[in-house]
Amino acid sequence: MNLFEPFSIPYMQRALAEVLVLGALAGAVGVLVVLRRLAFVGDALTHTVFPGVVIAHLLGRSLMAGALAFGVLTAVLLTGLGSHRRVGDDAALAILLTSFFSLGVVLISRTRGFTADLTVFLFGRVLAIDRTDLVQTLVVAAVVALVLAVLHKELVLRAFDPEAAAAMGYRTRRLDLVLNLLIALVVVAAVEAVGTVLVIALIVVPAAAARLLADRVAAMTALACLLGAAGGWLGLAISYEVSVDHDLRLAAGATIVVVLVGLFLVAAAVAPLRRRLARDRVPAVAP
Amino acid sequence: MAPEPPGGPPVLALRQATVAYEREPVVEGVDGEVAAGQSVALIGPNGAGKSTLIRAVLGLVPLTGGTIQVLGRAPQAARRQVAYVPQADTLDAEFPVSALQVVLMGRYPRIGWVRRPGTADRQAAASALAQVGLAERASARFGTLSGGQRQRVLLARAIAQEPRLLLLDEPFNGVDALSQDLLLTAMGRLRSAGAAVVMATHDLGLAHLACDEVCLLNRHQIGFGPIGTTLTPELLRATYGGQALQLRGDGVIVARP
Amino acid sequence: MSLLEVFGDSFARRALLEAVMVGGLCGAVGVHVLLRRLPFFTMALGHATFPGVVLAALLGISLFAGAAAFGAVVVVVVALLGARDRVDDTSAVGVTLSGAFALGVLLLSAQAGFSRDLTAYLVGSIITVQVGDLVTTALVGAAVLAALAALHKELVLGAFDRGGLAALGYPVLALDVVLLLLIEATVVTSIPAVGTILAVALIVAPAATARLWTERLRATMALAAVLGATSGVVGLAISLQWRVAAGATIVLVAAALFAVSLVVAPRHGLLARRPAALVPVAATTTAAGQGPTRAG
Repeated sequence: MNLFEPFSIPYMQRALAEVLVLGALAGAVGVLVVLRRLAFVGDALTHTVFPGVVIAHLLGRSLMAGALAFGVLTAVLLTGLGSHRRVGDDAALAILLTSFFSLGVVLISRTRGFTADLTVFLFGRVLAIDRTDLVQTLVVAAVVALVLAVLHKELVLRAFDPEAAAAMGYRTRRLDLVLNLLIALVVVAAVEAVGTVLVIALIVVPAAAARLLADRVAAMTALACLLGAAGGWLGLAISYEVSVDHDLRLAAGATIVVVLVGLFLVAAAVAPLRRRLARDRVPAVAP
Repeated sequence: MAPEPPGGPPVLALRQATVAYEREPVVEGVDGEVAAGQSVALIGPNGAGKSTLIRAVLGLVPLTGGTIQVLGRAPQAARRQVAYVPQADTLDAEFPVSALQVVLMGRYPRIGWVRRPGTADRQAAASALAQVGLAERASARFGTLSGGQRQRVLLARAIAQEPRLLLLDEPFNGVDALSQDLLLTAMGRLRSAGAAVVMATHDLGLAHLACDEVCLLNRHQIGFGPIGTTLTPELLRATYGGQALQLRGDGVIVARP
Repeated sequence: MSLLEVFGDSFARRALLEAVMVGGLCGAVGVHVLLRRLPFFTMALGHATFPGVVLAALLGISLFAGAAAFGAVVVVVVALLGARDRVDDTSAVGVTLSGAFALGVLLLSAQAGFSRDLTAYLVGSIITVQVGDLVTTALVGAAVLAALAALHKELVLGAFDRGGLAALGYPVLALDVVLLLLIEATVVTSIPAVGTILAVALIVAPAATARLWTERLRATMALAAVLGATSGVVGLAISLQWRVAAGATIVLVAAALFAVSLVVAPRHGLLARRPAALVPVAATTTAAGQGPTRAG
């Protein structure tokens, strides 16, 4: 299997550029999502961004714009609800999420080719990425990277010790809103390529794998970006090769996710070995 | 009542402070002052309102009655001068940060937004770690340290903040004896430098060692004054709702709420 | 168009019957889901069921068997992953579900008719149910309801007081697993009607609505079943009238009933709760569970 040959074709090159950027972007944001155990927010976004995408499509507008509008709305809503969440509100939240999603399904179902459209929105169409999509993804990536760089130490402090952060005068709600918005932006950027359902994998899996192997946030971030990009590249290459050589059509987005999960499992297997090696190196020191 | 401080407003002044949650008072009638260099133990059973009071002093929960002034200002205005030391076991032990990085967090209010910690900050952090006896573990991951060591790191974080008021929530819980000593010494140094200390605890023995004043709480204030005259069997019984406590000379039976 | 006309065709009548049965079943089961605080788990279960159902369909075996087997595998994987260092529960669930979902999509994408089948599994396709599906739904539904009735008091006690249940000598873990399997069976049964993504809504919403109107458990279950069935009928009727996706419409109706009840319900609704501010509070009330996060 040749992992480089597929990328001599222009549309594959664009797809590769897209998944490399997305993988790194999602990995970086994913670090904070994983450290704060926020996988649920990502899941919520997949449900609530979807109707935005549908509405944008029906209005003939950019899918990203629709996703952006609903993504921001969700981020604000979830931040507001988040601090008041009692366990009994889980039902209300689940109902809210599925209602949004149902709204999107109802709207799209009025059109012809309903099932094909639904599939595209949910799982993306990375091979159909054009230059404009790529540019849009790069812009979003730049914005997110800038915000992460500027607010890094505050976001990490809030993730590690929210009480101390509040005591020092940081408004944790605002920091939470920023992070939720960043997550929303990643979902927006990924909508065309991998769709709303699979983007969560891009956010959570590389970062979860990196967490197993890194002892510092900086290392974890670098590793997550690397793994995210690698998963994108390998997934694209494998899905192409299998489809062409073995006549077995494998959806590109889903293949990327499966590769990422595979990388995670490798990391999970390697982590205990690494621990043992590290333990041998640390000298016993008096307290 | 505490004696009048020598000059300037007290570091912490509480006047009939009351905090309620959904119209139900959680702690009320807290009244007293803490001057620079003084140390107060907040003593009371679980649910007495100690943590709530600390959060009120931090300006994190609003008062529904009375006032709290930190350095003559509202709590929210004085946050840069106030350091908070939570219990170490509330933090994620697997978080990828080193001990030094945790201590550096104490410098963030000084560093402000966008900027990164500079040389002066790193030196302050290293010095604070040394004060709690953990200089050689600076690059160890926070979670690899023992419970007592982690508590010391959190105190170092507060020291690095160079606060005027230090608030601690049960700092000696589950902490080994050596760490306790180091914590007490470091707190003493802060007090000599002029900081005031407020410490929630239910370890009466350590309260005697660390504090000169005590505030007895059980949803309302039962006493606030010098530890010798306020930490009496009668007031303790009133605080702990009638559980028998015996003070035999220096030996104290720690109340189990 | 009158209700009779809407349901004139045989496919519509079959869909109607399915909607009523599935709605009723989901409502009853949903009460237990709420009691044990499992809405998100049920959501995850729906996602996890998807590849199992796909696999079963591809292998030509019973959907229930496939879903149950796969669901069990997912639960085990999540538990194993979550037990490892530095893998918290949410990440374990996130990784496992992503992988499982992607696997399901991959399996399907290798087939022709990919989009249509995928959609049917994800959001339902109630207007294509056949008599065989109806029979399955009826049998499974009856079995689940019978099990719930037989184990009612044990399940309720286990929800409130696991320790107490264990102290009485009941096999608490086994009962938990039984309930999870019943929920899983309900999710799988709901697939033709609302699909895996939306199944949680039909399970949770009618029960949550019923809880706003009554506090007695059996009444809640009965009301939830009625609300679920009603959502099914009304949703189906609207979807046939306006030619929109049936499963999603059913869910929207169920959600609307919840939203309305949230506002107007006599004791627990938002409008009803405000007078509580006027009730004088006794000075020595013990701190309720909803107090500040760190009391003391």
